[in-house]
Amino acid sequence: MTKLGLTIKAAAVAVALFSGTGLTAAQNVTISVWAGGTGPNDNYRVDAIDIAADILEREYAIRGKELSIAVEKKTYPTWDDFKQALTLAAEAGNAPDIVVTGHEDIAPWSQSGLIVPVENYLNLDAWPINDMYENLIKISSYGGVLYGLPQDAESRPLFFWKPHMKAIGYSDADLDALPSKVQSGEYTLANVIEDAKKMQDKGVVKPGYGFYPRPNNGPDYWQFYTSFGGVMEEGGKLVLDKAAMQRFYQFFVDAVAAGVTRKNHIGTPNDQWFAEVASGKAGIWHGGTWHYARYVNQEGLTDFFGNVAFSLIPAGEEGKANTLTHPLVYLLTKNKSEENAGIAAELIKIASEPRINALHAIKSAHLGITKQEANVDLYSSDRWAREATERLLPYANAMPNNSDFGTYWNAMWKGLESAWTGQKAPGQAVQDLETELKSSLGEAIVVR
Amino acid sequence: MNSSRNLGLVLMAPAIVLVVLFFLVPVALTAVFSFTTMSTSTGITGGAYQLAPNAIQRLRDQFGMVELAQKLGEPSFVIDERGLATLEAKGVAPGIVAELRSNHLNETFTVRRDVERMIRSLRERPSTPEVKLISAEFSRSLANARFADEAALFAAVKAIDAQLTEDEKAALAAASYSGWTWTTENFRRMVSTPDTARTLFNTLAYVSLTLVLFNTGFAMILALAVHYMPERPAGFFRILWLLPRITPPVIYVLMWKWLAWDTGFLSAVLDDFGVRPRNWMLDSAANAWVVVVFINGLVGASMGMLIFSSAIKAIPQSLFYASEVDGAYRWQQIRHIILPQLRWPILFVTCYQTLSLLTSFEYILLSTNGGPGGTTEVWALAIYHTALNNYAGNLQYGYGAAMALVLVVIGIVLSLVYLRLFNYGALVARPLIEH
Repeated sequence: MTKLGLTIKAAAVAVALFSGTGLTAAQNVTISVWAGGTGPNDNYRVDAIDIAADILEREYAIRGKELSIAVEKKTYPTWDDFKQALTLAAEAGNAPDIVVTGHEDIAPWSQSGLIVPVENYLNLDAWPINDMYENLIKISSYGGVLYGLPQDAESRPLFFWKPHMKAIGYSDADLDALPSKVQSGEYTLANVIEDAKKMQDKGVVKPGYGFYPRPNNGPDYWQFYTSFGGVMEEGGKLVLDKAAMQRFYQFFVDAVAAGVTRKNHIGTPNDQWFAEVASGKAGIWHGGTWHYARYVNQEGLTDFFGNVAFSLIPAGEEGKANTLTHPLVYLLTKNKSEENAGIAAELIKIASEPRINALHAIKSAHLGITKQEANVDLYSSDRWAREATERLLPYANAMPNNSDFGTYWNAMWKGLESAWTGQKAPGQAVQDLETELKSSLGEAIVVR
Repeated sequence: MNSSRNLGLVLMAPAIVLVVLFFLVPVALTAVFSFTTMSTSTGITGGAYQLAPNAIQRLRDQFGMVELAQKLGEPSFVIDERGLATLEAKGVAPGIVAELRSNHLNETFTVRRDVERMIRSLRERPSTPEVKLISAEFSRSLANARFADEAALFAAVKAIDAQLTEDEKAALAAASYSGWTWTTENFRRMVSTPDTARTLFNTLAYVSLTLVLFNTGFAMILALAVHYMPERPAGFFRILWLLPRITPPVIYVLMWKWLAWDTGFLSAVLDDFGVRPRNWMLDSAANAWVVVVFINGLVGASMGMLIFSSAIKAIPQSLFYASEVDGAYRWQQIRHIILPQLRWPILFVTCYQTLSLLTSFEYILLSTNGGPGGTTEVWALAIYHTALNNYAGNLQYGYGAAMALVLVVIGIVLSLVYLRLFNYGALVARPLIEH
C-alpha cells in the first residue's frame, strides 16, 4: 500500500474519532504547549491555546460529547535555551504536543520525525486556514507539505531617531520621504554610515552610537547579506555568494572604522540596548516590528511616532532594499496518542482565528496572519500594525527551510563576528567561511 | 585476610559504580557518537526512510538518478480501481466509493489539497479524518512519505509500479535514510576547519595561564600569607577568598560585568581621569583574556589555598622552630621546608585543576561567550556551541562528540604525564620505617 504510515495514522484517527470508542465517557485530555523567544508581551502565543480549548470543548458539547482539555503552558524568553530544551526533551520522549517556534526548524525537525505535518489532521480549506496569507503558508511548508500553521508574522525595519536626524539637517518632509527613498534605492547603507557620522560629529550621540545594530546573533543579519546582493537558497540548495558576503562583512568593518559602531558592540546586554535605543541614545539602528511593543510598554517611549522613523533595510552595492520576516509557526510533535494530536491540531486551527490572533498581533506588535484580521477593529485601529504591514511586509524575504541552514548560519555569524571585531580581514573571514562550509556541508551548498 | 579483602571490595563498590556511571559510560558513549553524523535532524535513537526534498536532491545530485527522483518526488494522486478496492475493504461508506467510481475514476491530481477538495465535494461529505484516510489510498507518489524500514520503502515503491534495479534500491535507501550513519568525516572536518588550531591554542593559553598564575601560583601565595598570620585574621582571609567560589556563577559573572561594562564601575571611575568609557571585558582580545583568566583564577585560587594551607599545617612545628634557631629567614623556610613537603598537594592541585579547567567553560560562556570574534573560544565552549547551541534548531551531536573525544584524550595523556613528572610511584611507596 502507498504511504503506509499515513494510512495507518489516518485510520487510527478515524477509529478514534468515529467508532465511538472512549467517547461515551467524559474525555480528559492534557495538551502541552511550549513557546520559544516569548517575552512578557507574547503571552497570547500560549494563551490562545487556552481560548481555543474553551471553544473546542463547547463544540464537542454541542455534538453531544464531553471533552475536558487541560492546557499546560511553558514559555522560554530566549531561543537557544528553548531549542536545546525541546530537542533534548523530544529525544527523551517528553516533547510537548504543540510547539511555537521559528519556521526554520521545520526542515531539521521533520527529518528527525520530531514533528508531523498539520495537513495530516486539518482541512486546509477550512476557516481560518483558507484565509491565511499565501506566502506564510509557503514558509510553513516543506517539500510542498504543510507542516505548521503560521502563528505570527513580522518584519525587521531600520529605525531612525527623528530629533537626531533633524539635528543634522533633515526636515519633517525629508523624514516622511525617507522610507520611499530607501525603498527606491536612493538612500543606501553608505548613507547610513554617513548620517551616523554626522550625528556623532554634531555631538547629538556619543561615539559608537551613530549606528547601533542588534547586539547579538539573529535572522536580522541575513538582511544585510541580501542588501549586498546575496542569496540564501536557490532551487532547494543553499548558496554562499562570496562577493556579497564580503561586501556585507565589509559594511560592518567600515562602520567600525568610521567610529559609528563600536568594535565591541556584539555582546552588549539586550536590556541595555533596548533602553538605549528607546531613549534616543542611538541615532540609527535596526530591530523588529515587535520591538515597538517593548519600546512603548516597557521602555517608556510614549511618543513613538514623534521620535522614530522606520524604513526597509537600505540597499548596499549590487543589492536592493529588503526586510526579513521570520514567522513563528505552531507545530505538532509526533505524538504517542493520535487522539491528542487530533485535538492539538484543532486547537491550533482555532487559535489562528483572526480575532484571537489579533490579540497576539497587537499586544506583541506582530503582524497578522490572515487577510480578515485587517477587519478586526483591534487590529485595524492600531497605527503601528497598519503602517508596518503596508511599508514592510510586501518586501519581506524569509530564511529557507533547509536542514543545513543552521550550520550555514552559525558559520556566517562566526565570520561576521571575527571581521567586525577586527580579528580577521573581511576577505579572510569569507575565505575561512568557505573552507568551513565546504568541509561541513560539502555538496549541499553552492559557492560562487 | 580473605574476608578483609572482600570487605575492601564491598567498600570500593560505590566508587566503582560511580566511576563506571559518570566516567566510563560517558567516555564510551562520546567515542561512539564521535563516529556518527548525529544531529537533531537525524535524531539519536535511529531514523526512518523519508523522501523529503533534500533526499530527492541527493538522489539526483549524488547518485545521478534524475528520472527516479522526478518520479518519486512529485506528489500525485490517481483515482483508480486499486484504491477503490482498498476503500471498500476498509469499510468506507459504499455511497462514497460508488460516487468516486462513477464520477471520478482515472482523475489525477498533483496537489493533496485539490484531491481532498474533490473528496469533500462528494454528496456524503466525509469528515476531515475520513477525507485524510481516503486521499491516502489514492496517493501514487512517495514525496514526503516516511517509512520505518527499507522493506516498507521498497514495498511502497513497488506499489506505485516503479521497478527498481539493485543499484537504484541501494541509492534510494541511502539517499532517503533520515537517521545517523557511521562516519570518520567529523575528524576530517575538524582538521580542515580553519578555527580548530586557534581554538586549541586558546585552550592551551587559558589553561596554562589560569593554572600557573592563579590556581597554583596565587593559591600558594595566599596559603603562605595566611600561614604566617595570626589565627583569627588568617581565618577571615581564608573565608574572604572563598567568596568567589561560593557565589553562584551567574551572580559572580554579573558582578564582573557591572565592573567591566562601558556603563560599569571601571569606566565610570576612569572617566573622571579622562579615559574614554569602554567595555573592559570585550573591547580587545587582550581585555577579554585578562578578564577570562581573572574570573576563573579567582575562583580556582581558593581551592589551592585551602589544600596548601592545610598541608602546611600538617608540617611538624618542630621543623620551623629548629630552622628559626638556625637563623633561617622566612624565604629559606619556604624554600627548604614548606615547598618540599608540598609536592603531593601541588601535584594534586595541578593535575585536578588542569583537567577541570580543560572542561570548564561556564564562566567564559557567561562573560565573553568566546568573544570578541572568537578570541576566547576555548575547546570546551566550542563543543557546547556545536553540540548544544544552534539558532536554527539543528544541534550537531556527532561533531560535538568528536571534539569532546579530543578533550578526553588530551586529559588522559596529561594525567599520565603529570604522574610521571611528579614521580607518583615514589610518592605512594611504602614508608621505609615500617620495614
